Amino acid sequence: MASIFRRRRNRATQTERVRERQHEGFLRYAGFRWAKISGALGLIVIVSYALIDVTPRHNGGSWYGYTLGTIGALLILWLTALGYRKRKMTSDYWSLKAWTSAHVYLGLSLIVIGTWHTGFQLGWNVHTLAWALMMLVILSGLYGVVVYATLPQALSNNRDQMTQMQMLEAIRAFDRQLHSAAQPLSPADTAPVLASLDENPFAGGIGARLSGRYPRCATAAALSALAASHGSAPEAREKVVGLLRQKQAALARLRAHLRIRALLEIWLYVHVPLTFALIAALSAHIISVFFYW
Amino acid sequence: MSFILRRIATTKTGKQIIRDQPLPGDTITLGRDSANTIHVADLAVNPHHATIGSGDGRTVRVTAQEGLGFDLNGRTETVADIDSAAGAELRFGGHRLTIAREDDKIILLVERIDELSQASKDVDEVKAFSLQSVLFGKRVGAWTFAALMLLAFLIGPIWAWHSYRGVDERPNGFHADSAWLSGPLSSAHANLKNDCQSCHVDAFVAVTDNACVNCHTGEHKAMSMAHAGAPTAMLLAARHPPGLGEKVLAGFAEAFNKPAGRCVDCHTEHEGAGPMAATPQKFCADCHDGMAGRLKSAGHPTMLADAADFGTSHPELRPLVRPAAGAKPVRAMPGKPWRDYNGLKFPHDLHLQATGGVARMAASFRGRYDFGKKLECENCHRPDADGVRIKPVEMERDCAMCHSLAFETVGGVTRTLRHGEPDQVVADLTAYYRSTPPARPLQLGGMARRRPGQYAEGQVYNIYFREVAARPSRAADAVRAVFSEGGACYDCHTIFPPAAGNNWRVMAVNQTPRFLTKGWFDHDAHRETACADCHVTATESKASTDLLVPALRQCRDCHVGEGGARIVKVETATESPCAMCHEYHSDGGKPWQPKRERKRQLSSITHQPSRAIYDVSLITGKRERGLYDVSWRTPSLQGARQGG
Repeated sequence: MASIFRRRRNRATQTERVRERQHEGFLRYAGFRWAKISGALGLIVIVSYALIDVTPRHNGGSWYGYTLGTIGALLILWLTALGYRKRKMTSDYWSLKAWTSAHVYLGLSLIVIGTWHTGFQLGWNVHTLAWALMMLVILSGLYGVVVYATLPQALSNNRDQMTQMQMLEAIRAFDRQLHSAAQPLSPADTAPVLASLDENPFAGGIGARLSGRYPRCATAAALSALAASHGSAPEAREKVVGLLRQKQAALARLRAHLRIRALLEIWLYVHVPLTFALIAALSAHIISVFFYW
Repeated sequence: MSFILRRIATTKTGKQIIRDQPLPGDTITLGRDSANTIHVADLAVNPHHATIGSGDGRTVRVTAQEGLGFDLNGRTETVADIDSAAGAELRFGGHRLTIAREDDKIILLVERIDELSQASKDVDEVKAFSLQSVLFGKRVGAWTFAALMLLAFLIGPIWAWHSYRGVDERPNGFHADSAWLSGPLSSAHANLKNDCQSCHVDAFVAVTDNACVNCHTGEHKAMSMAHAGAPTAMLLAARHPPGLGEKVLAGFAEAFNKPAGRCVDCHTEHEGAGPMAATPQKFCADCHDGMAGRLKSAGHPTMLADAADFGTSHPELRPLVRPAAGAKPVRAMPGKPWRDYNGLKFPHDLHLQATGGVARMAASFRGRYDFGKKLECENCHRPDADGVRIKPVEMERDCAMCHSLAFETVGGVTRTLRHGEPDQVVADLTAYYRSTPPARPLQLGGMARRRPGQYAEGQVYNIYFREVAARPSRAADAVRAVFSEGGACYDCHTIFPPAAGNNWRVMAVNQTPRFLTKGWFDHDAHRETACADCHVTATESKASTDLLVPALRQCRDCHVGEGGARIVKVETATESPCAMCHEYHSDGGKPWQPKRERKRQLSSITHQPSRAIYDVSLITGKRERGLYDVSWRTPSLQGARQGG
């Protein structure tokens, strides 16, 4: 008897070791347990939808529609609770990884539950609005899963073992060197350098962050202006041009970093506000059904 | 007059170390160039930016040299006179020059106040590197969106409902609760699109029948006669035991105050624009499937047979029949051959033969009537005005083309025995003999074989055949001959000889106008189909007591259940819900059907049965045919040319 338990424990630690070695993320958590569960859930919904004959036709108001709608609404509330759960440090309840895994896969199954709840009757009304918001939230979440799976590698490659502040510090160092190196330059040549120094490396709106394109970059402008200039002493200018080039490289690294981070984060700015919009629209949808019963 | 340049250094512990350095000369130069008295290593400062001098040792004059000015009290100046006692702060690029006066000395304090570069400024790492710095916070978005949604789609609609409470009809225009419309209304109710309250009167109260009968004051006021007459307990017992799903639905309905049995249970709305959908078969089958057993066990035995689906589970048709001559019509019992005694003698097989006397005779009338090479059903059976049913056969219209009752021509006028009035017949014949003995024998045989092409309706043709071999010479004989076997009346009618003071009598003919009283059959909807495709026993029927109404089997050749269910092979299936034939409200009329479905049924008939045996045979319907005004030139295809 004791040997059975020991063996089981051994096996458990063995599994644990394998897991640690392979870094089991939330996607492959517990051997895709939640992927299987939600896949089965979606399949059950699709098959039962086809098999169950409701009168007069499938829509949200049939008993089947009510069932799916109730499941879907509760699921939405539970999925939203991830935002609460992740802020709450626990050791005894579900691990956050398990919770996230379930969040992702059950959220995907909501595509089937929600859409089949509609009975494919869509229109320009609050009911379809709730559905559309739900789909937007799910799609943004799907985007989030994809970028979480792919972009950290690019982020790490770009970082080249530097921390964020080290990247910024590099720019600051070049700025200091530029400042002293540019002292001998003529006022005409100083202006672009000054503009480069005056440039906030974090400037640029959401568009620049996402695209990583900064067409009015003062450092690039200073580089081209000084390369074409003949005003100051050539040695001083050469030195400044060299520094500008290095600053530009450092800026490019920082901006690539910002871009990847923006791509990693942007979906949450859709996912979270739209979730709340969805919950509001869902409340309106449910209340409206019973209001005009 | 001396200027002192003061420098302040701050130690790590925050202690300030002040160093004063007297500056030589009366005029101080300030700039980036190291040759200046005050050297400011600031790229925003010109190499020779400004001069500072003082004439009287009190007022300090600052003059900008190379175009770039300096800031004084927020304004850019190129020259400024400053009272050193009052002091001032001037700004050169990223540096601040403070002028003050201590012990008759003018103190110049130069400090860097701006960061060397923007990048050098302190940043909040968490914020700067994330999107927080360029986007609204998620919380702001979340609450804003949620509030907008609630405002537009919850508070707005409720407000719209609230502001029109008790108002009969809402004005046109936008009403916020139209956002709650779960689907387009049917075309009949389309004008109520903006007036949700016309049906949804009270909040959280399901649509009541009151809302319906406010407008539908007439025919739909109640449930059908058949169903309204039944006790409630019986109706409840008829319902099939609820399945899991229906229990769920019933639970919902009960929990949220949605009573069952309302008009809208069957007449569902918001199912899409266009005509309201026909009530689906499930609503009937819910009770009628297995109902007999349930009713019996509940103590309400019924004669009604179970019906669930036309294609698979529908009781045999039970047309109205008269089980004996002169009996009252009753619905035929299932399982027995149908016998309907209508009082006539009529062998359909003889009349529909492709060869033989009848066919020859019919062929001889081609051109006069719309006969073909033989008789067709529609030559004698005429649809009524709306095409739904077939009119009862009328002797003058439908038989007399061949079965003439003419017996004499006087001066070009043909005299005919009065059909339907046996006493008149007796009188006419008696009168005929009383005047003058007939010059020629009378033609009194109803079915005497006539020479093709020479005899037609309205013509007297005096020849002697078997039927008139006993040539009557007296009136009584003539009367007896016409009422006896071989006589004109006897051949088609059941004759009662004179007895107990009665004269010759003809049994009353009862033609049932509608055999299927519980269901609706529309001949017009089936005009693309040949009669014989359904009335299959017509060509073999030897007696008029054979009821030729098709059985369920014939219907199922084309008609399948609503969902396509069938038990026989069907080439072109017409999906048939209960409402195609049965009218729930039992007003005896045509079951209501959406227009698109009516159209669909006709267009779906693509594989017509072969009609090779019918050259031209369309039911003409409306065309009345005069008995005596036909001409030899009447084209035989007249009906077809009129379009049927």
